[in-house]
Amino acid sequence: MHTLEFENVTKRYRHEVVVDDLTFTVLPGRVTGFLGPNGAGKSTAMKILLDLVKPDHGHATIGGKRYRDMADPARSVGVVLEPNAFHPGRSGRNHLRVLADGAGIDPRRISHMLDAVELTHAADRHVGGYSLGMRQRLGLAAALLGDPPVLVLDEPGNGLDPQGVRWLRDLLRQRAAEGGTVLVSSHLLAEVEHLADEVVVLNHGRLVVTGELSALRQAGTSVRTLGADRLTMMLRAAGALVHTGGEGELVVRGLAISEIGDRALAAGIALHELTPQAGSLEDLFLDWTTDDSAAESRGSVHENERTAVPV
Amino acid sequence: MTTLRLIRGEIRKLGTTKLPWGFLMVLVVVAGLDAAVVAFATDMDGSKAFIATAEDQRSLMAFASNAMIGTSLFGAIAVAREYGHDTVVPMFLTSPKRYRAVLAQLSAVLLTGATLAGAGQVLVIAGVALALPSTEFAFLVSTGDLVRLLAATTFAGAIGAVLGAGLGSIIRNVGGAVTVAVLVLFVIPPLAAQLVAEAGSWIPPTLFAVISGVDAAVSLGAALVAITAWALVPAGLGLVAVQRRDVV
Repeated sequence: MHTLEFENVTKRYRHEVVVDDLTFTVLPGRVTGFLGPNGAGKSTAMKILLDLVKPDHGHATIGGKRYRDMADPARSVGVVLEPNAFHPGRSGRNHLRVLADGAGIDPRRISHMLDAVELTHAADRHVGGYSLGMRQRLGLAAALLGDPPVLVLDEPGNGLDPQGVRWLRDLLRQRAAEGGTVLVSSHLLAEVEHLADEVVVLNHGRLVVTGELSALRQAGTSVRTLGADRLTMMLRAAGALVHTGGEGELVVRGLAISEIGDRALAAGIALHELTPQAGSLEDLFLDWTTDDSAAESRGSVHENERTAVPV
Repeated sequence: MTTLRLIRGEIRKLGTTKLPWGFLMVLVVVAGLDAAVVAFATDMDGSKAFIATAEDQRSLMAFASNAMIGTSLFGAIAVAREYGHDTVVPMFLTSPKRYRAVLAQLSAVLLTGATLAGAGQVLVIAGVALALPSTEFAFLVSTGDLVRLLAATTFAGAIGAVLGAGLGSIIRNVGGAVTVAVLVLFVIPPLAAQLVAEAGSWIPPTLFAVISGVDAAVSLGAALVAITAWALVPAGLGLVAVQRRDVV
């Protein structure tokens, strides 16, 4: 069982803070979606975990060890980082042979993995002629070559056809069910919604929220009131994230439903509706990561959410 | 064991692209040109005095300096393209102790460079040997001298490849690494020799002439140490750079 742990990880490039005091845990037996807008710091965080990038502060470990201290990393951690990390003049099969040679992996695994990712028909063609989806499949074959218990995958679904996405989802679910640790970043929120048990969300390098996806989705409250402006200001001041829903209702996250009701009562605001609301991951993601005038208050909201739904 | 696995992987990496085969084709062309020179070229007076003695023939076949230039380009391309194609990422994931990965890469490039240079020298000797019967001169170079030529060229190939690999890992861009390799071996040595007369004894062409037995500007031991330094300095700098840099 390998737990991935980030502890106060910070990375700066010159004056830009790319990863900012990041602390979270990825548990085995779960698929964890790693989300954030472009430039949020997901890839850098993954590279820090894999010792490709040195953090300025803090550290990240896999099963309590830093990647560089693992005895046999290629058999312990399967990685997909760059969709084009192949020599275009080398065949897919030879790419896997190079990796198997370097890691001392049984070469019979090569054919097995090419079959598994349905790339056998193109295995002896140059990678330069592969489509993006085929390169993703080859990258996944490389990641799975050593049959590792940990998978760290950066946008592995990019370019895959629907069958490929389904195959990938089943594979990752199966890996997690067998006790494996799966950290997967993706912009395909609908896919993450189907796939992930947990989510970790970054924005501007900072942890925005982490927790069990099903609990986070239930963490919203729909409120109807004639005193919407007053209530919004009051709830935001209390650290909640508040925005107006499609039907004019207020959608509040980061405060328990009872607390919203108590605060409205204390302020003398009549409520016409106060109901739990399950949001889609896309709604939640936009709430967590959209910059607006409430940015400052949102920081504390997310801390509250993180406390309310700990990993 | 881990290092041997890594070297094996790196050798397969080099052998599964067209790069070494392209260089081998260039060597075949060079050997063909040498043979053509022996068969058809003449001195200004119309004679073939340039192949009249064993010493002349040995100088004509001495290939070490050219081998170093060729394999430096090979090493520079082989390593710099790893960064261009991001194939260093799986390399460092397989071996997060980067010095091991870099040493394996240098070893693979060294072995391939030495093999290419040795093959080039054999081709040049064969070309000259095959062309000489078309002239009035016999093949006069002794077996001992041929062995020394072959050893010197193989060594030069290894040194050039390591030098190029070092530059490739520092610069990480194929065009830049090739340009710097050309500057280091083609442009800077003659400039240095013009500026400081003594420097002429320590530039690769002179050092390999000494090692090949066709010059005696410095002692053989000094030449070996000096030419090794030409490779180790960029390789060492490359190793330090790789250790310190982030892979972004």
